[in-house]
Amino acid sequence: MGKITDRYAIVGVGESERSKNSGKSPLHMALDAARAALNDAGLQATDIDGFMSYNENDSCTSHQLATYLGVRPKYVKDIMGGGSSTEMLISDAVALIEAGELNSVLIFRSMNGRSGVRMGGGGWDVNMLQTAIDGGSFIIPYGAGGPAQWFGMFATRHMHETGITQEHLGHVCTSFYEHAQRNPKAFFHGKPLTIEEYKATPYLSYPFNKHDFCLESDEANAIIVTSAERAKDCKSRPVYIMGLSSRQCHPHTHYWSDLSQVASDYVAPEVYKSAGVKPEDIQVASIYDCYSWVVLRQLEAFGFAPRGEVGNFVAEGNLRMGGKLPTNTAGGMLSEGYTHGMNNVLEIVRQLRHEYRESDRQVKDCEVGICTGWAGPDIAGAMILRN
Amino acid sequence: MKETTMTYLKPIPVKTPDNSPYWDAADRHELVLQKCESCKEYLHPPGPSCAKCGSPAVSWEEIGNDIQGTIYSYVISHRPFLPGFQDDLPLIIAQVELDKVPEVKIMANVLDCDYEKIQIGMPVKMIWQDLPEGRSLPQWKPIDA
Ligand SMILES: [Zn+2]
Repeated sequence: MGKITDRYAIVGVGESERSKNSGKSPLHMALDAARAALNDAGLQATDIDGFMSYNENDSCTSHQLATYLGVRPKYVKDIMGGGSSTEMLISDAVALIEAGELNSVLIFRSMNGRSGVRMGGGGWDVNMLQTAIDGGSFIIPYGAGGPAQWFGMFATRHMHETGITQEHLGHVCTSFYEHAQRNPKAFFHGKPLTIEEYKATPYLSYPFNKHDFCLESDEANAIIVTSAERAKDCKSRPVYIMGLSSRQCHPHTHYWSDLSQVASDYVAPEVYKSAGVKPEDIQVASIYDCYSWVVLRQLEAFGFAPRGEVGNFVAEGNLRMGGKLPTNTAGGMLSEGYTHGMNNVLEIVRQLRHEYRESDRQVKDCEVGICTGWAGPDIAGAMILRN
Repeated sequence: MKETTMTYLKPIPVKTPDNSPYWDAADRHELVLQKCESCKEYLHPPGPSCAKCGSPAVSWEEIGNDIQGTIYSYVISHRPFLPGFQDDLPLIIAQVELDKVPEVKIMANVLDCDYEKIQIGMPVKMIWQDLPEGRSLPQWKPIDA
């Protein structure tokens, strides 16, 4: 694809209502989010010729979305995927625009993540799970049925090796909950969390208590990607893609025998090289936060603090407004909402546009931001954006 | 173990063409590990070819039934994430590094262990938990328990 720096932009972002019980189909919510993103960009639905989405068998298709927007698209794509899929689909969109196949692409994630299919589990057929998950029969019979346990296994080892404590996990949570108090649309708006309250909360799955888990919500998000040239015709302030590492993988198919490395370790050097910047150039971040520990491990991988010092980095308040790296400034998936990573993309775009300039939510004068994806320790992606 | 077999509500390992030698051996109270004949690495969990070099030349090696190891990492479930575990909380799930083959880590529950005493580096031994229909599940137990 060659050097793509600053040649493509995110020109529209939008979301549906966020709730615990939408009473709507994923298609209906996807339409709400898509219309909001189109309105944000100042585009007509018919200006979009490519539609893409990711799902876990819990959504509508891109073809359905286009149909009910009244568009006959050139291109639709739906992939199975989790938390690093936004970066991957943006990369695919850029490649297709670069190749002259498409002009503008709308990417969405829509899920009744609370009232419909819950990632937190429940109701799964355990024999199906054993065969659906690679190596499933070696974990499911032992009760290891969800990401809390899989990522927790990495977390306990990492904490043992680096001296990160449960209190450090708590600083990630309290920082993001603090952001949610400035975001009236956040699920945990009005529900602040102190470190004392965090520490007094019983474990759900050690080393995690309920605050370390992302919440579950019914919600759809959409973003629109186009060329820098077409972005000039949009009404929004474009946010340019400086660099991408769409997806990289942990080197082993079965990662259980090696808890020391994660896919983000491989993504980080590539995304910085692609964007031509260093960690110290980043002024605002959206770090994938399905669990608090996942943030700490990525801060280490992406070079924001050396291994062994990540705990102090968060304890010093660096993830908060005014810190070195204000992170997940809308509250993140721990306290704003959960759309498998896409709500964090919307927020970084809004920060880089200085959309909150009249309020205390704005990271002052931020020019460069990073957004990371994490589909488990095994797959990750990231992008660096600028205003 | 008869009582256990009557009331076992947890998932039982599903045998597949790729993993059945492991579970067949477990049913005989033996551990077998898959090994790559090309790069000589052990492969766990097993698969249809080597996950380290891609070679299809994989074979099985008997490790026996006197298996010891140390806790490499763990989680403690205070809530059942799967059906059948509600009476076993808090449940310790651990990755254990094998003394004989340190590159292999085997996930299982640590039974007969106070969850507040579990720690990385703790020595454990493999025991065989009998399930219904002649099936058996490798589990861990503290060596001093
Ligand atoms: Zn090999």
